[in-house]
Amino acid sequence: MDQFIEQIVTGLSIGSILLLVAMGLSIIYGSMGIINLAHGEFVMLGAYTAWLFQSHFGLGLLASLVPIFIVVAAIGWIIERFVLSLLNNRPLDTILATWGVGIMLQQGVRLMVGSELRYVQLPQSLSDSMDVFGLSVSSYRVFLFTVTIALFAVTWILMNHTTVGMKLRAIMQDRSVAASFGINAKRVYGLTFAYGAGLAGLAGALVSPLKSVSPDMGTGYVIDAFMVVVLGGVQSLAGTVASAFILGELSGAIAFLQNDTVAKALVLLAIVVLIRFRPEGLFTTRVRA
Amino acid sequence: MSSQTGLSRLGAQLAPILIVCAIVFALPLVLNNDFLLNKVARYLVLGILTVSLALSWGFGGILNLGQAMSFGIGSYAMAMALKLKTVPVHTGPGGLPDFMVWNNVARLPWFWEPFKSLGFALVAGIILPALVAAALGWFIFRSRVTGVYVSIMTLATMVVLNLVIIDQQSYTGGFNGITDLAQLEVFGIVFDTYSRATFYLVASCVTLSLLVAFAFTRTKAGLVVQAIRDHESRVRYFGYDVAAYQIFVFALSAAIAGLAGMLYTIVMEFASPTFLGVQLSLSVVVWCAVGGRQSLVGAFLGAVLVAGMQGALSESAAFLETWTLIMGALFVLVVLFLPKGLAGLAHDIWLWIAQRPHAVQDTALGVGQTREGST
Repeated sequence: MDQFIEQIVTGLSIGSILLLVAMGLSIIYGSMGIINLAHGEFVMLGAYTAWLFQSHFGLGLLASLVPIFIVVAAIGWIIERFVLSLLNNRPLDTILATWGVGIMLQQGVRLMVGSELRYVQLPQSLSDSMDVFGLSVSSYRVFLFTVTIALFAVTWILMNHTTVGMKLRAIMQDRSVAASFGINAKRVYGLTFAYGAGLAGLAGALVSPLKSVSPDMGTGYVIDAFMVVVLGGVQSLAGTVASAFILGELSGAIAFLQNDTVAKALVLLAIVVLIRFRPEGLFTTRVRA
Repeated sequence: MSSQTGLSRLGAQLAPILIVCAIVFALPLVLNNDFLLNKVARYLVLGILTVSLALSWGFGGILNLGQAMSFGIGSYAMAMALKLKTVPVHTGPGGLPDFMVWNNVARLPWFWEPFKSLGFALVAGIILPALVAAALGWFIFRSRVTGVYVSIMTLATMVVLNLVIIDQQSYTGGFNGITDLAQLEVFGIVFDTYSRATFYLVASCVTLSLLVAFAFTRTKAGLVVQAIRDHESRVRYFGYDVAAYQIFVFALSAAIAGLAGMLYTIVMEFASPTFLGVQLSLSVVVWCAVGGRQSLVGAFLGAVLVAGMQGALSESAAFLETWTLIMGALFVLVVLFLPKGLAGLAHDIWLWIAQRPHAVQDTALGVGQTREGST
């Protein structure tokens, strides 16, 4: 029984990291139709910014979360403004363009900071462990889970209860009609991409104490996160949450029963089969236009 | 252009292919260095792989992010056959490959048995990728999955195969791949990696795959495939079985990629899981986009030039890092401003040069033509 609960907690922990990365990707893909292959690099930038703040300005991880969000969001905005906004109506080309941007970001960091591993310290207040259901869990993982849920709530409110969110949803439904009502689609797109990038940056900053920081740390995240988005269904934030935790629990469980490689292979196969039979994702009821 | 007859248009399209192939065949006359020729042969093989992607992506509209899967299958088929041909020094007792002996495998696994015949391996290296692609294509296209989802499914399938190969070390050589191979010997010709024979073999395959791919784009099936790329449902309303055509072009492209994979094993003298890795697969997409996805010759040259430049510069580590940065920037610029790649640029320049003497006439004609084109 203890082992079972431990598995569930491990799964939740994997799931919350997945969700953090996938949320930004889901917003960008769901609303702009852009497959952002540079998303992993935003995660990496977030982690490097955390390291930079810590080693050069002595700022702790918790204190630097907001500046990290702003820095990575600004980079995202610039990329949207000068690269992606030129690619209207060419969705497949955005895959290529964002991949190129990703290479540039990765290589840029490698040239400027070097490719050796960097480490970010856990916040002092969260370095011990706490008791959850009679099980000792690291406080930081609980914190991670809480922050993820909080960020999801913020995103959900932004999308559904603010003017910007309403404009974005209007553009998603029909861009030209929305534009004729005076909505500046370009501006909203820029903000959306910046927000998604900022979320990825936060994800990177938050996982940085758990893993070592390196220029290519992001590549693994994109594919996993993308699978989450596909499984959850495009344009469905709640679906993204559910699928992140399902994938987290699933890979945790299979990894426990078999090994990591088999877990990865089986999850990927499951996703291939899923797309075949439900290309709209598990959790959407909307039929594709 | 109404003045051009069908025949001269065929000539205009065929000429670049023939010129490029002639240059490839003439290379050994200029490059008198076997080591360099081997390197060039490697880039030519990657060029064939890129041509195969241009066929499915540029002409079929199927962005296959797992193109390296077919390449890898071909490469492993060749490597397995050549491994079983090695002299007993490299293989264990009873003809077992050395890595199997190290992993305590007692008998040759059943799927290795047929590869004792070189003929089987040569056929399998082309047919097997085609069959796998046809099965995957059947799975994908029969359910009318399109666009990005096709890319994800192909990418995921390739990653799964890659993971399986790395995981099953005792049967596949795992992370190290299959090394220490014998040399290919067909009809008494030994294809040593650093020999002219290998180079001419590669050059012939370049010509063959360019011509086969070109011939396909000119057939009726090839035209239907291009129509599907431009407007899938319209073709479906005409009564064509869209999925069947997509599966066919997908499998044909995989067969060419398999051929390239086999050649790669001969040129590199090993097979490795990286041959069906994400890195290579995405690089092929880049080469194809830079060269021009809707031009077979363009895609081929894109691969040879970009991979060649990368190879030439990779000798100094500091330069390689800067180069990767420049590569990324170049690639973004090409995607943004040259959606048809270098081939499209060359075509535009050619038109501009060709039309200059008749500039006055053409302004009048041009108006009529655009109207015609837009209806």
